[in-house]
Amino acid sequence: MQVGGAAAAAPGSRAALEDKLRDIQSITDAALSRFGDQELLTELLERTRAVLQADTAAVLLLDYGSGHLIATAAAGLEEEVRQGVRIPVGRGFAGRIAAEHKPVILDRVDHSTVLNPILLAKGIRALMGVPLIAGGKVIGVLHVGSLTQRQFTSEDVELLELAADRAAAALASLTAQENRVAAEALQRSLLPSVLPADVPADMAVRYVPGAGKVGGDWYDVFCVPSGHLWLVIGDVTGSGLAAAVIMGRMRSALRAYALETNDPAEALARLDRKMQHFEPGALATVLCAVFEPGLDRVRICSAGHLPPVIASPGHAAEVAEVPSGLLIGASPGARRRVMTLETTPGSLFCFYTDGLVERRGELIDDGLARLCQVVTAESPEVACAAVMAALVGSRAARDDIALLMIRFRPADSQP
Amino acid sequence: MITGDDELGFSDGRAVVRMPAEIDVTNAYEVSQRLRAAARRGPSVLIIDMSTTTFCDSAGVQAIIDAYNQAEVRNQSAVTRTQLRLVANAVLRIITLVGIDQLIPVYPTVEAALADPASGPAGSMGE
Repeated sequence: MQVGGAAAAAPGSRAALEDKLRDIQSITDAALSRFGDQELLTELLERTRAVLQADTAAVLLLDYGSGHLIATAAAGLEEEVRQGVRIPVGRGFAGRIAAEHKPVILDRVDHSTVLNPILLAKGIRALMGVPLIAGGKVIGVLHVGSLTQRQFTSEDVELLELAADRAAAALASLTAQENRVAAEALQRSLLPSVLPADVPADMAVRYVPGAGKVGGDWYDVFCVPSGHLWLVIGDVTGSGLAAAVIMGRMRSALRAYALETNDPAEALARLDRKMQHFEPGALATVLCAVFEPGLDRVRICSAGHLPPVIASPGHAAEVAEVPSGLLIGASPGARRRVMTLETTPGSLFCFYTDGLVERRGELIDDGLARLCQVVTAESPEVACAAVMAALVGSRAARDDIALLMIRFRPADSQP
Repeated sequence: MITGDDELGFSDGRAVVRMPAEIDVTNAYEVSQRLRAAARRGPSVLIIDMSTTTFCDSAGVQAIIDAYNQAEVRNQSAVTRTQLRLVANAVLRIITLVGIDQLIPVYPTVEAALADPASGPAGSMGE
């Protein structure tokens, strides 16, 4: 706050303040490396309480989905966390801090100033709280309380803001880490790596997160009771946990629609309606290929997704001329057209996301041409390795890359 | 911010917003804001000029779709309708792949986009 005003403070109190700052700094820095999320917060709250000679200290984290502050850690006020206290932003003491993005001091604690009955029941007489800010956004609130009448000072506020800075930085990095781990786990759990048993085909897959960050690329392979084999590949705009969650929902929805229709255009139309209603603003490219039970015919429909490359034995690979269609989530009532193809035994289908073929400074057709040069109707594992070596090499991918290849065994080689 | 900038031509109720050479997650928000600002002035034709754009990833696609949806919403209440038109060369493949050409008519040059007499509502989809 008013740092300029601190110059007027007596040298003794200035030194005392610096001691306190050092206290807080040392705890939080050490705590960062030694403790996990919850332990770090608890440790920090204990020390904040001691340094400020307060009776209670608590952290509430903002849940963006609900717009509520949720009690996450507390010292001397543990019941807040145990009872799962939720305070809407803009209401009560903590809600006001989060809404106004600035410190609040209360020297009168009653129904008119606080919302949380625990603070009243506890007999807290004075409160001081500051926002937790990370990346310019409020991520929560840190507050301390006194059971005796007391006037918190601007120096107290400065100390609490320092503790809040350290807590916010630690929380933001831990949250980002948790989100990344969650996104990776989610993505991995949703990507099948083996074909359904008894499909006379071989499959190989690759998935590489872009710039070290998991995105919304996914693929799916499954059979439905009618005997149709579905291959799905898609790319949700955005990255991280949010994109991975949407990807998971789209995957489940498509599986459900596939039980009810063998028409990829109909399944995509339903998916589009579902996404526009339940996930407004989300965009995704999706391609569905539905193989008939004998595997001798396939129907392909694309919602803004790159077409598969197909290699038949003895022929150069070609980009399938799948009619383009509007991507999922863009606008209601898109026209969906289907391409029907007879498949040749021994032919290989290569499905991929744009990260594989898109390069800055070149046309996407050049990337597709390069892909066609490498893909041959050999074992999918060999073909995948060859494609990744030729198109990715040792370059770190900027964008996610998902690659799925499937080759149908010639009739005489069926087990 | 961009008013008066040579990137935005505005005359005769028709606006041209020139897009950057590359559109990706680093500048897609800015692109969105520029399209939004241009649309707010209520032109009868708003041309998204991607003639010198050589790279447009999914964040860029999202910015254009957003501009289309905002225009659709505004057109339902505004006195003058805004028709979006798009000019693309190097990124034409991406624009057609993701089906943006089903929503917004696409032209090879800004001149062609300007010369086209006001047609019906862009991308009337049920046809």
